[in-house]
Amino acid sequence: MEMTEKIEETAREIGARVKPQIEEARKRIESLNTSAVAYIKENPGKCLVGAVAVGYLIGKLASRRG
Amino acid sequence: METRSDNPPNGRAPGGDATKKLGKKMEKVGQTAETVWERTRDSVSDIGTSLDIKGRVHRNPYGTVAAAIGIGYVLGGGLFTPLTSRIVRFGVRIGLRLAVLPLLKQEMAELIETIEDEDGKSKGQGTKANVKRTRGDEP
Repeated sequence: MEMTEKIEETAREIGARVKPQIEEARKRIESLNTSAVAYIKENPGKCLVGAVAVGYLIGKLASRRG
Repeated sequence: METRSDNPPNGRAPGGDATKKLGKKMEKVGQTAETVWERTRDSVSDIGTSLDIKGRVHRNPYGTVAAAIGIGYVLGGGLFTPLTSRIVRFGVRIGLRLAVLPLLKQEMAELIETIEDEDGKSKGQGTKANVKRTRGDEP
């Protein structure tokens, strides 16, 4: 019983320590996502042309390797 | 294109037929280029309006970018490559898992339920039979 209690306590401590970091990372990812979406919406032409170019390069590399 | 009569090109005689013809041809070429440019611009704008690229990007930005990457990939000649086959295999595996696992879970749950029901019925019948037997044994 003592062992399980100890394990539970350490798990709780680790959770309490990691929770703010996870929250911060989540917020960062959310802000990155919103900024990326905003940029794509503001510059659709640039983004699409860039994406086609990236895809073209990947396709070229894949065909060379194949 | 303008030609000056007082300043002949290359020291030749001014107002020659060749110069006039050249000027007319140049004008024609200019007009043709202008019409071609206008038509190209119109067709590009028509394609843009028919595809509704801006609307698509607004509705689903990541999906549109992914589609553009896919188009580029195909244009780059990556369609019939081992990488494509690998990606397709991976996608099929994930899709099958996502599609089949819930079905399997449902089937298993139904099977367990039916087994439990049958068990309950057989137990009930067993107890009834026991009761009858005990009653029948009674003198």
